[in-house]
Amino acid sequence: MFCEKAMEMIRELHRMSDGQLPAFNEDGLRQVLQEMEALYEQNQADVNEAKSFGRSDLIPSIKLRHCCLLRNQRCITAYLYDRLLRIRALRWEYGSVLPANVRFHMSAEEVQWFGQYKKSLASFMRSLGEGEGLDITQDIKPPKSLYIQVRCLKDHGEFEIEDGTVILLKKNSQHFLPRWKCEQLIRQGVLEHVVS
Amino acid sequence: MSDALSDDGSDINQDDSQDVMTPAELIAKLEEAWLNEKFSPELLENKSEVVECVMEQLTHMESNLQRVKKGDAKASFHRMEIDRIRFVLSSYLRSRLQKIEKFFPHVLEREKSRVEGQPSLLSPEEFAFAKEYYTNTETYLKAVALKRMPLNLQTVDLLKAVPEPCLDSFVFLRVKEKQENILVEPETDDQREYIVDLEEGSQHLMRYRTVAPLVSNGAVQLI
Amino acid sequence: MDPSEVEFLAEKELVKIIPNFSLDKIFLIGGDLGPFNPGLSVDVPLWLALNLKQRQKCRILPPDWMDVEKLEEMRALERKEDAFTPVPSLYYMEITKLLLNHASDNIPKADEIRTLVKDIWDTRIAKLRLSADSFINQQEAHAQLDNLTLMEINTTREFLLDSLNFMFKLRSNLQPGSSKGQLTDY
Repeated sequence: MFCEKAMEMIRELHRMSDGQLPAFNEDGLRQVLQEMEALYEQNQADVNEAKSFGRSDLIPSIKLRHCCLLRNQRCITAYLYDRLLRIRALRWEYGSVLPANVRFHMSAEEVQWFGQYKKSLASFMRSLGEGEGLDITQDIKPPKSLYIQVRCLKDHGEFEIEDGTVILLKKNSQHFLPRWKCEQLIRQGVLEHVVS
Repeated sequence: MSDALSDDGSDINQDDSQDVMTPAELIAKLEEAWLNEKFSPELLENKSEVVECVMEQLTHMESNLQRVKKGDAKASFHRMEIDRIRFVLSSYLRSRLQKIEKFFPHVLEREKSRVEGQPSLLSPEEFAFAKEYYTNTETYLKAVALKRMPLNLQTVDLLKAVPEPCLDSFVFLRVKEKQENILVEPETDDQREYIVDLEEGSQHLMRYRTVAPLVSNGAVQLI
Repeated sequence: MDPSEVEFLAEKELVKIIPNFSLDKIFLIGGDLGPFNPGLSVDVPLWLALNLKQRQKCRILPPDWMDVEKLEEMRALERKEDAFTPVPSLYYMEITKLLLNHASDNIPKADEIRTLVKDIWDTRIAKLRLSADSFINQQEAHAQLDNLTLMEINTTREFLLDSLNFMFKLRSNLQPGSSKGQLTDY
């Protein structure tokens, strides 16, 4: 059956849940391109035959092959474009440096596309507000100026909170701090959220 | 208290030819634009003057805060407000950028066919971004696959290949200015079209296409 | 829309607080606040009220409607009427949740209030499900939804709109010549 391989590539992406990027199917792409070349050559030959000898009986098979060519083209572009959309989403999830296991699944050209995408996005953000600049990849969630109870897991030294007060983060000390101020320290393992 | 914070910065618009808007009105405009953009299926007209004025306000306030003594109680109020405004602004610009990426060939086509004097869909920055996105994506598809395909299949019409926004999507809306005689198209063959009045303050669920002009002139707010 | 964003909008609503500190008027970008005097009530947006409360700098006065008797009346009315009855605040659910979670010591009969508001919410959501169901069944093109709050709309938005769009696509594909914007199938 024609177009089998191309459909398989589409299914391969379809099976993956949204944010996931499977390894680039270089081999699949090559096979589809080979099939297209073969279909095209057969069509060229049949078209010549039809023209030179008036073989109108060849026209249905020429049409069928042409439809298969278009379908293959459509599937391949869809495959490539869907991957770009997934890669684009990764920029928003991970920031401008992608984790190694993700990059490992990208083709050289995808890495190039990604590089250009990052550049366009960066210059867009730089040019906002008449050159003032605004990083719109930040502030994804609405701010919460709420306070939480935290415990210090290691000595961290002085720490300034929003109203300018400076507190000492000493191992095992407990504090009542604005959540947004602690989030990074919690991720770094300096503080832990005490759930009462 | 510090003098730096007693400046209410109410003269954001020195240009006499434009309506003077108070900072509070400006923030309200931004929030309206944010919700409309979030819920409309298509990209709306850019509001770059609002974006620029809001950014100016934020920069102004932030530079005032730099001069404030540590421990000033007012500073924390201002910082919280700045965080809130910056969130709305970023979220608004993000929704637009997402739509630009999703519909890039159509957005650029609209821009190309725009008549002189008609307001532009894209801000200059967004236009630059959309063009780069188009070139980048087209170049990529050519290099990886299209130029390796048979001669008659080496191009793809992106306008046909990338889906258009679906203007027939349903939206929720609140009416800000009363509208009479809005024509509601039938859903099925055995229904008939009918007319509704949209009273001020009332809320509705209907097709975006029916109310698109009212969203863009501010008579209704998407919710 | 993310529920946290609806909550964000709810935090703009004004509530009365009794501060325990004094501070001159402040000129925020979104409007003026204060002055603050110990023991004197003043209107502030909820986001600020919650922050001050957490730092033990104020007591929050519950909104007028956050009262057992009033809420009982509302619940009775909501159960009796078929239509959505007017709500005391477009953000009644979020305000209740925020105040009860972060300032319950300032809300008299907090537990009863929580139950009442939850009952009202449940009744309204049940009505919303019914009307969404009939909207789809009747293939309506327009519905008026007065008094429905943003958070209530939000609970059904994605599911309802996706279903409507999907049905529209199925229907329009049955009609010839409506393939605008869609690729011809190969």
